Amino acid sequence: MATLTCQTIEISRGTTHDGPGLRTTVFLKGCPLRCLWCQNPEGIPVAQGVWWEARKCIGCLSCVAACPTGALQAPHGELVRDPTGCTICGACVEACPSRAMALTGREWTLDALLHEVLKDKEYYQAFGGGVTVSGGEPLGQATFVAEFLRRLQKKGVHTALDTCGLAPESALTSILPYTDHVLFDIKLLDSELHQRVTGHGNDHILRNLSIVAETLRMRNAKPPSNGYRTLQLWIRTPLIPNTTATPENIGAISTYIHEHLADVVERWELCAFNSACKQKYDKLGSPWPYADYDLMDQATIDSLREVALSAGSDPDTLVVSGLTARS
Amino acid sequence: MTDIIADHRVSATLTDERAARDRASRKGVVMQAPLQFRQSVRIRRLAQRSRELAISGKRRLGTEEAPLGDHACWIHIGPFPELDQMPSRVNGYEATGESWGRDYAFLVDHFPVEIHRDERIVGEIHWEMHMVRQYEWPERVKEVGRWAAELGASGYSSLHTCPDLAIGLSQGWGGILKRIKESRQKYLDLDHPEKASYLLGMQLICESVIHFIERHAEQALELAAAETDAWQKQTYLRIARCCAHIARHPPRTYYEGVQWIHFAVMMDRVVGHGNGYGRLDLYLIDLYRKTKSDGELSDEEAREYLAEMFLKLRGQFFSLGGRDAALKDATNEMSFVVLEAYDLIGDYNNLGVMWHPDIDRDFYNYACDVLARHGESIPVLVNYDLMREAELRSGIPEEDAWKVVYSGCQWFCIPGKEYCDQDVNSLNILAPMKRTLASAAAYEIGDFEGFYALFEEELTATAEALRTWKNTQYELLGSLWPEMFTSMNSHGPIERGVDMVDNRGVDYQYTSVNILGIPNVADAFHAIKRLVFEQRRYTLAEVEAAIETNWVGREPMRQRFLNEDKFGNDQDDVDAIFVRITESLARILGSLKNLRGQEFRASLFHFQGHLTPETIGATPDGRLAKEYLAHGINPQVGRATTGLLATANSIAKVDQRKFQGGPMQVELQPRFFDGKEDIWTYIRDFSEVFFRKGGIQINLNIMDLNKLRDAMQHPENPDYQNIIVRVTGYASRFICLSRAYQKEFVERMNFEGF
Ligand code: SF4
Ligand code: SF4
Repeated sequence: MATLTCQTIEISRGTTHDGPGLRTTVFLKGCPLRCLWCQNPEGIPVAQGVWWEARKCIGCLSCVAACPTGALQAPHGELVRDPTGCTICGACVEACPSRAMALTGREWTLDALLHEVLKDKEYYQAFGGGVTVSGGEPLGQATFVAEFLRRLQKKGVHTALDTCGLAPESALTSILPYTDHVLFDIKLLDSELHQRVTGHGNDHILRNLSIVAETLRMRNAKPPSNGYRTLQLWIRTPLIPNTTATPENIGAISTYIHEHLADVVERWELCAFNSACKQKYDKLGSPWPYADYDLMDQATIDSLREVALSAGSDPDTLVVSGLTARS
Repeated sequence: MTDIIADHRVSATLTDERAARDRASRKGVVMQAPLQFRQSVRIRRLAQRSRELAISGKRRLGTEEAPLGDHACWIHIGPFPELDQMPSRVNGYEATGESWGRDYAFLVDHFPVEIHRDERIVGEIHWEMHMVRQYEWPERVKEVGRWAAELGASGYSSLHTCPDLAIGLSQGWGGILKRIKESRQKYLDLDHPEKASYLLGMQLICESVIHFIERHAEQALELAAAETDAWQKQTYLRIARCCAHIARHPPRTYYEGVQWIHFAVMMDRVVGHGNGYGRLDLYLIDLYRKTKSDGELSDEEAREYLAEMFLKLRGQFFSLGGRDAALKDATNEMSFVVLEAYDLIGDYNNLGVMWHPDIDRDFYNYACDVLARHGESIPVLVNYDLMREAELRSGIPEEDAWKVVYSGCQWFCIPGKEYCDQDVNSLNILAPMKRTLASAAAYEIGDFEGFYALFEEELTATAEALRTWKNTQYELLGSLWPEMFTSMNSHGPIERGVDMVDNRGVDYQYTSVNILGIPNVADAFHAIKRLVFEQRRYTLAEVEAAIETNWVGREPMRQRFLNEDKFGNDQDDVDAIFVRITESLARILGSLKNLRGQEFRASLFHFQGHLTPETIGATPDGRLAKEYLAHGINPQVGRATTGLLATANSIAKVDQRKFQGGPMQVELQPRFFDGKEDIWTYIRDFSEVFFRKGGIQINLNIMDLNKLRDAMQHPENPDYQNIIVRVTGYASRFICLSRAYQKEFVERMNFEGF
């Protein structure tokens, strides 16, 4: 068998929001959705790209000299990029002394990635945490992820899958046996709207969610025994101004959870919008429709929370996370 | 403020209180109250006085232009009025213990006695020996110093050790005086006038201390006679009884014990040096239990006596926890009381909690809770077992090694038995690095191993210069600046008639050496390895030229060196070079012996060398000449980009058993804890993993550095006046620091989370 590899966007250590305890989150590249508000735009394609960070650039133009395709030019002594002509050959990345030109991600072999995430194993144990695979969409690299999580579980590490839910059923079911915790996105309940702002309807996503729910019911029904692992489920909803953060949508998701998933959902998290990813769009040289949006104010968040509660959500499971604007 | 424990329940037992606290924490109460115990009006007044003195600059250490902090034990009231009458000025200066002792006794005999209203713990000082007695090395010594400094080795000795206060607590000053006199007689009989003369100096010191305490008793009686307020009158009388007794005799009660320690530490500070003072919980436990069982001590009183002492002494280095002689957990009721005393008043302190895997869980939880709630790096958390192993490895036998205490910034020692000359000796390894670069370029060294071998040679040359330099001082130190007060509470000096800094005055006399610039050299070597030896992008001559010229005209080259992997990110390659450098230091210094026949020990810390970058110049890690160097073994500012856990892992790779300490410094954004309950559990869990992985010390400030940046502009803002930070090894009020310290502090990595 060829060496298993994966493409990652980045690895974050010591995270406290991607599952229980203190964790390492591995963000994998590639996503089937095209959410307008996407927070990890560099993670949409599985393949590596090249991006450029103005703050780090010292204007030496070594990259221009190195570029074989003319995708980089300096007509007036200043760097001009034309991403369409780029073949991702990496010559500019190699030539750049300041890491202003960089690949949007990195390739890892299974062993190297395991070595990397196991560096904090003692911390996971002390804090009741573990490793989360996120993205992008980790189910897009299912073969790797399944083996990665299996090996982690064998090392006694708690595993979590953070998914947007859009993936072949087989990908999901190949990974669930090695997963201790699922973080599942419900962005919008209206499928048509979902189609409009993410590029796909949500029927398939909700079907996958029901598979997770069913798996959880079966697994947790058995009494915990030696080596036997239960499954936890958190639902996450990004609060995107004028899109998902509407009373209609939050009310509808709340009702849906209440009616179909009340017995399996341990937490439903509303994640407040922030614009920290704007600099990523700048680095990619692409526009972002949400660039001008501010942090949400506390009143809006509170009223959405009220909507969720009155539509049936359990106050003990409902959590709001993220920064709000200071009034 | 949530008052979890109401302090009117003065009759409640400690166990009750602790149970209440445990219940509180187990229920998940977020213990955000800055202070857990309500201050009595009296304590509040005393705390206010202490704060005002600090803010007014009257407790400044260092000069007005470059203040080191507000933690002086003495209170400035102007120069010593009888300066001209100092014996060494009137009768002529002599570099002898007797002359030193005469000066000390004269100074103390002229101390005013001050007893303030509200106080139950009394005594303060205004001058120390350096202000009144000449401390001048002969020119031939200084010449050696200048030569060594050229090579990167420096440090004038001044005491940094730890007396064993248990000696005086059990014998009293009268008992110590008796031993001094007997020993002096013995040496007179043996016709050993030098030792007898030294002991005469010591006798004068001891007598001056006794008289000073007796003068407090006298004045308290006078004050009592004139006092009309019943409580205050009683208090004066109590002070009088206490001082009259402890001037000569060992303390009988907990109150007398605290007052005894207060005087002992304060009179030690008259010498002016950075000593630690040992395990406060062990010192006081017997007196505490006895007084408690006699029904004469409430929990509130127990806390308040210590709190008063801390306010007056400006919290010296004391330790808690650790293990006992049987290597069982040494935590006792006093360990809690000491932390509670800090918890009562907050403010400045330097308590260290000595963790080990078997430490009392309630105590360690409480220590982390105190640290989390106050957020001001108090207590410092240290790894007892590693300190003990380091002492064993130095050759200190089992029967003494367990006594190890965290005694100062990053260092530890065996109280009363070890003189290690801590925190003053310095080895700047950027100097040998620069010489390595020059000779490697000249010899056209072609591979990293050859380059590193040259570095070890240069490092050895610097270490040997340090040895020569220290030994030159050690020849004279005992007569030039003996440490006679500390020697009285040490094992050996009295009976041997030899000062603790002099040859074999105490059993253990290893020389500790602070190391400057390890992370910078590691980063530089890794970049050189990659860019010069592997990729062959640059020659050594080009690197040398670049740093000679502060990289001017070579920004792309500097960027290359700057953007190689850096220490502090848990990356195997560069961290391995870091560890290798520490191993070289341990080996090279460990192979050298001082005049006492004992080894040099590297300490992975530097108290302030990183703040004077101009003297170092640019370095091949991409650092510009004006940038501060890395602080101790913490990564250079801006280079730890992978998070706190990664940095902790990098630091924990060092084999700390081979060193004399090396703290991890953490500045954590308070925001990280927003919405989180029981934030102390984060500190507990993090610190315990770090220690199990091999870390030895954590200094943790929970601090929004933006707030401190603002405090630099608006020190007059009352909100900023009481912010305490752990600067390097010690703590200080932020606004009382020099600009350089403040600037370095606010530029540190402010971790947003783990
Ligand atoms: S990756 Fe290659 S083609 Fe693309 S910009 Fe860089 S050098 Fe040019
Ligand atoms: S090589 Fe790097 S630093 Fe130089 S111009 Fe290109 S992006 Fe900027």
